Amino acid sequence: MDKSRQTIVMFWIVHVGLIFFLYPADIIGSLSVGHWSAVLLGFIIHVSLVALYTKGLSYCAPLNVIDLFQRVGRLFAFAMLLPLAVYFVLIIIITVRAYAEIVTVIFLGNTPLWTIMLLFLAVSVFICQLGVESIFRTGILIALLFFPFLILVLILSFQNADWHYLLPLMDRDAATFAYALRRPFLKSLFAFIGGFLFLGFIPSRVSYQSRKIVYASLGLLPFFLASVYIPLLTFGENTASKFPFPFIMAVDTVDVSWLMFDRVTMFFMISLLCFVILFLSLVMWMTLLLLKRGMPALKAPTAGLLLAAAIYIVCLLVPNWNAVERLMWWNTVPRLYAAFVIPLAVFALGLRHRRRETVRP
Amino acid sequence: MKNNVSRWLFLAFMLTGAAALSGCWDIKDINHRSLPIVMGVKETAGTYQVLLLIPDASPSQTNVKIISQTGSTINEILDQIDKNMENKVDLLHLKVILFERSVAEKGLSQSIESFMRSRDISNKTLTAISEGALEPLFEKLKSSSSNGGMEIYDFFEKNAGWSPEVVQTRIWEVFRSMNSFTRDVVIPTIKPGHTTTIESTGAAMIKNGKMVGVIDSEETLLYNLFKGAGTQGKIEVMHRATVKIVADRLTRSSVMREGSAMMIGRLHLKVTVLETVGDPTVAEIKKEIDEQLSTRLQAMLRTAQSKEADILGLGQLYRDKLSRENLRQWRSKYYPFMKIEFKVHVIVQDGGLLKIKS
Repeated sequence: MDKSRQTIVMFWIVHVGLIFFLYPADIIGSLSVGHWSAVLLGFIIHVSLVALYTKGLSYCAPLNVIDLFQRVGRLFAFAMLLPLAVYFVLIIIITVRAYAEIVTVIFLGNTPLWTIMLLFLAVSVFICQLGVESIFRTGILIALLFFPFLILVLILSFQNADWHYLLPLMDRDAATFAYALRRPFLKSLFAFIGGFLFLGFIPSRVSYQSRKIVYASLGLLPFFLASVYIPLLTFGENTASKFPFPFIMAVDTVDVSWLMFDRVTMFFMISLLCFVILFLSLVMWMTLLLLKRGMPALKAPTAGLLLAAAIYIVCLLVPNWNAVERLMWWNTVPRLYAAFVIPLAVFALGLRHRRRETVRP
Repeated sequence: MKNNVSRWLFLAFMLTGAAALSGCWDIKDINHRSLPIVMGVKETAGTYQVLLLIPDASPSQTNVKIISQTGSTINEILDQIDKNMENKVDLLHLKVILFERSVAEKGLSQSIESFMRSRDISNKTLTAISEGALEPLFEKLKSSSSNGGMEIYDFFEKNAGWSPEVVQTRIWEVFRSMNSFTRDVVIPTIKPGHTTTIESTGAAMIKNGKMVGVIDSEETLLYNLFKGAGTQGKIEVMHRATVKIVADRLTRSSVMREGSAMMIGRLHLKVTVLETVGDPTVAEIKKEIDEQLSTRLQAMLRTAQSKEADILGLGQLYRDKLSRENLRQWRSKYYPFMKIEFKVHVIVQDGGLLKIKS
């Protein structure tokens, strides 16, 4: 059955959940004029990788990434997928820790971090134990509930925009892509990469059309641009670069007298947190798939609980925000690996697979 | 069977977890909290004094109380107040922050930055400057309160008592101006009124977080016009006629000519005539409005230019015409010498219920 719609919704949820918190600060930190250039560069990388990855997967249709690699050889699969598993575990740790911090900064000032992290992990382990189909179904439900709010808040947040801050459009730095190797820009790539790898893991009974996914990924561009430009237009570059969460600050300035709630940020936060929990459960599900293939002795519920417990302990050991940022930086190498090597390998193997199929009828 | 039991146990574990983590950690009920509406900040000889106006609700009536404390930083004072009070002070619903004029003249940067940093003060909190000492104003707010101290908030609120001669300036706008090359703000000035609770006296020009001058109510109207805050319904009194503005639109264009900035502004107004003195023609009314508003704008701009405070944010128009290095010097190098050509284009929509001479 064609489940393209569910896959697209999941794809959007995962990305939108990642965009609005850390991404704007990284982009604003990486250059001072012409931020659209950095957003577009990241976005073009993103779309081309998604296209490559889904193309490669469609060549070897019923196989998923793990099967595809295992056809080449057990050792090859192990070597290719181990860094990926490391990357997945690291992003779960970073996401849980960072979003718990964000929640305390923005609305639960008195709640200790360990409870929030426990809540995130507990909910996402629970969802991921139910399997990928239920993750997808939850995704549809959450999207129906929260996307209207999200769009409303996005439109409202242009309230204080001063369009003069759009200018100047360009400078040397932005035109020559000199920022591309700077630390903040490399860190900002996480918003583009963490999300789409799940496309290669979903079982063949949840099928989708790769062309539709690529088109759907184009629909994310407004979200990426808005997340960077709303704070820039509201505060200007000088001020926006002083905030750790520029987008949240910009939404906080919105003053709507006809809305019954004083802070629209709350709507926004809570919808995004739901998206993030879904993202966590999806990544956890992929990690478990990899772990179970590597260690067949592990059985379903135990493996999930063990993984969550291990992640929770590491999260507790992260002392402060600087450590989170350092973790994100350390994660750059696995991230670049997951971003470039995996899609390229999938594409190459898919091509080989198809050629063999055509030669041998 | 065994699998089923473990699944139920797992579910029970998850549910207890979720119940325990409902987000209500260390919650203090609403009746154990004090929610100040107004915070006043004054400074005497290096020590700050903070005044809080707190509604004190009892089942029969709503009173207001004033609490004050001195200390070396604002946060220390708030901590002291919290220690001495029977309730928890919660600044989440703080609506207005009032600075005494002397504090504003010394500089607000430190306080504004700490308000922005604070998690519980909203960055949309309004700011105002008190012309005289804070205590009489707070006493007035207390004695004339019938609404739990909300008067000052209603005074500034657009859907309540706001009028086009009053500026609304929020903390984040002041913070933005402190870090901007090309934009300063004004903060409304108020004092206790004779018959009303509050009297608006215009606004203070703030440059880099420091008060450098004042503008009067009429000029504040022009400021609001430039900001696009709307002046509809504003009644304009002139020698020959009194008109009501029903619609306004402002177009601006900027050029750099031989290294100096030049701006052309056109204000399009639609007015309706309320009252005439003598028998002026439409053309005369138009001319008088144009002259009156243009001279007022030029006068305001000259005062602001002499203080190098770009309160109208005119430098914003030159963001693409000047390099970043030049923009950095906008306030000192370009702004004081900039020329503005301002014309008001008036459409007299109608003469009320009486005819006027065309």
